[in-house]
Amino acid sequence: MGVIDFLIKGSHGDMGLLMGNEAIARGAIEGGVQVAAAYPGTPSSEILDTLAEVANHFGIYVEWSTNEKVAFEVALAASYCGLRAMASMKHVGVNVAHDPFMTSAHIGAKGGLVLVSCDDPYAWSSQNEQDNRFIARQAYVPVFEPCDPQEAKDMTAECFELSEEFHHPIMLRPTTRVCHARANVVLGDVPKEKRGGVYERRPDLLMYDARGARINRVRMVQRFEKIREAVDELPYNNLELLDGARFGVIGCGLSYNYVREAIRWLKLDGKISLLKVGTTYPVPEKLITRLLKTVDEVLVVEELEPFVELYVNAIAKDANPSVKVHGKDLIPLTGELSTRKVTEGLAKATGSKLPLNYSSLDKFQEESMPLLPMRPPVLCPGCPHRASLYAIKVAAKKVAASDYAEGVKPIFSGDIGCYGLGYLPPIEAIDSAICMGGSIGLANGYAHVVQAPIISIIGDSTFLHAGIPALINAVYNNAKVMVAVLDNDTTAMTGFQPHPGSGMTATGLKTTRVMIEDVARGCGVKFVEVVDPNDIRKARKVVESALKHEGPSVVVFRRRCELLELRDKRKRGEEIIPFYIDAEKCTGCGICINPFGCPAIIKRDERFFIDTILCSGCGVCSQVCPYKAIARQQE
Amino acid sequence: MIEEFNIILAGVGGQGTILASNILGTAAIMAGLNVRGSEALGMSQRGGAVVGHLRIGPAVYGPLVPEGKGDILVGFEPSETLRNVTLLSRDGLVIVNTRPIVPHTVSIGLSVYPSTDEILGKLKQYAQVVAFNATELAEKAGGVITVNTVMIGALAGSGRLPIKNEEILKAIESCVPKATIAVNRAAFKLGFEKAQEILRS
Repeated sequence: MGVIDFLIKGSHGDMGLLMGNEAIARGAIEGGVQVAAAYPGTPSSEILDTLAEVANHFGIYVEWSTNEKVAFEVALAASYCGLRAMASMKHVGVNVAHDPFMTSAHIGAKGGLVLVSCDDPYAWSSQNEQDNRFIARQAYVPVFEPCDPQEAKDMTAECFELSEEFHHPIMLRPTTRVCHARANVVLGDVPKEKRGGVYERRPDLLMYDARGARINRVRMVQRFEKIREAVDELPYNNLELLDGARFGVIGCGLSYNYVREAIRWLKLDGKISLLKVGTTYPVPEKLITRLLKTVDEVLVVEELEPFVELYVNAIAKDANPSVKVHGKDLIPLTGELSTRKVTEGLAKATGSKLPLNYSSLDKFQEESMPLLPMRPPVLCPGCPHRASLYAIKVAAKKVAASDYAEGVKPIFSGDIGCYGLGYLPPIEAIDSAICMGGSIGLANGYAHVVQAPIISIIGDSTFLHAGIPALINAVYNNAKVMVAVLDNDTTAMTGFQPHPGSGMTATGLKTTRVMIEDVARGCGVKFVEVVDPNDIRKARKVVESALKHEGPSVVVFRRRCELLELRDKRKRGEEIIPFYIDAEKCTGCGICINPFGCPAIIKRDERFFIDTILCSGCGVCSQVCPYKAIARQQE
Repeated sequence: MIEEFNIILAGVGGQGTILASNILGTAAIMAGLNVRGSEALGMSQRGGAVVGHLRIGPAVYGPLVPEGKGDILVGFEPSETLRNVTLLSRDGLVIVNTRPIVPHTVSIGLSVYPSTDEILGKLKQYAQVVAFNATELAEKAGGVITVNTVMIGALAGSGRLPIKNEEILKAIESCVPKATIAVNRAAFKLGFEKAQEILRS
């Protein structure tokens, strides 16, 4: 039985293997969610992916929104109308949703309202490691941090109950190693009740009338006080106070697991009092007070910022001023934690002997490093972005040489998505990727201060998410930038979610396809062309014309993601016929490798060949080869 | 009953390490065991280095195999196996596919890919090693795509796994597309026999 079947058919007490995000989806269903909206982003995407698959069965409304702000507003409105609603996003997505989020606790929640913020310590797939507990604190929104998939499911369901009980939105904050962990999860009941939405006109809540804002703030603070009183009793906070133990550890969210293992390894079982914290804002003050009163020293273990640690220090002032509070002095502030890091910190704090000779492991690793080739993620073989970037780079260099002062180089202002990998050698046709839509925003700025060909490179989904206002800005303020929209018909980086440009909704319904070229023309761009990136010669010509155009221009590079193509070909039982390099014709010029850079083409010991396991059969390399040395293998 | 059993799956995005990890996790649940695991998603599809963790047993809390605590390292690709070997305990076992996937950094001259013998030599300094060309066996079974099932077969063939063959085969059937069950069974058998043959000699 697959996961989706299990989620649909599974009933109370059934156990199965679930990813944290799948568990959150099930928790939302068990919590009576009726509206779920999201914009994809690692590590959050599978929550809505999963809900979309089961939406029809459970009769819930699920959508991929154009961006996180809209997703949160959709959920906020549903909650206001009395339905339980959820918005899910990656941590930096909350920055996009920050504006309505900041006012959401002022309005409060009628139907349970949950924002899932999937934080990404170590920035596995993100532009930063921000700790969204601070955003939640600023917004007066409580934060629940699950430690594993089971708790993620249980907490999600309960967050809806609590949000409704306290009329207040709640943030669920799993981190990458909860979202993408897998574990056995026992299911609970799915409620039968379905509500209809009721809109009630309440300008005192929803208008920015100054008196309303001031009164709402007072109400918000009062509600929050009630939540502060209640959190100690929740099952996600648990104090194991041991008789005679003079040392305490506080494990927050995921870190609790590392603490449990570290205690066992250091043979400290029975010698340390342990507080598990599942609500990191507001912290369980009574439990912390009880722990602090019994110990001489305490170690706070949490990923990223010293958030709970600050509260523990504050509480210690009253509870036990002589207690020594450890935290980020022993536990790293950056990156994600591990059992080893926590074991090392706890060993130092307690003067215990390490269970393993870590330095010998490190030494072995260090000695192995010189043998290991670098293997960064790359654009897939057959990826249309490679062809687009190749055409853009070649054309931009040509225009820079002919139309600009000597030595001027093109600016490749990139964005968030697979094509960002084009910053790596040998392609190097992306210079930056700071935030969604930033490629066009930055280009607007460059255009007024630098004399050079300026190219924004942005994906289809990203363009629709945050690119449009910046494009209008370029039209309005006449910035000479070329915007290349790489349209592969999907949100590929995060797992192939549909978007407004793909003409399909989250639940697979056909819908109006928003054409990017129409959007560009509607924004007032005078030069708008659509090209097939795999027709490299034509693509280059169009880019050259676009770069010579006075004022902003848009070129849409349209070709479907190769991974989706391959998936469909396999389903249809079509054979994928790889290409090969004819050694007799190959002169060893190396253009296919640098700058074209397909990873299926390999040069080893001065020999060029195509790895048939990797080749997708797209054949673009045969256009790039000046000696016609690359051809399709015979069937 | 063992307290914990830790498996590491290392390879290159696209080799099926995630499916392998799912199959093993499903099998462990069928065997009534506590399971924790973690996988690399997101960037991993793009041919980057990937490592998956699967932990089984009552004493397991965290989703990641702690350094030096792995029982078996299943290496889908030689250099990626070496990259992760210190997750393994010195008493652990390395099962490694000897078929290299040369990264693009080698082609453009930023890295060098060592000989397979060099990699195996280094691995053997660390722990016991079972090495064979699993990609070749997968092709024999019916397609390169079954390389993950060959590796699962070899893992079962090591005799160290606290899960029975029948449970693994049942998990394979529930996790792979129906049409591919026969080739996956064949792949499992080839991997199983290969590991047994190497360990006997």
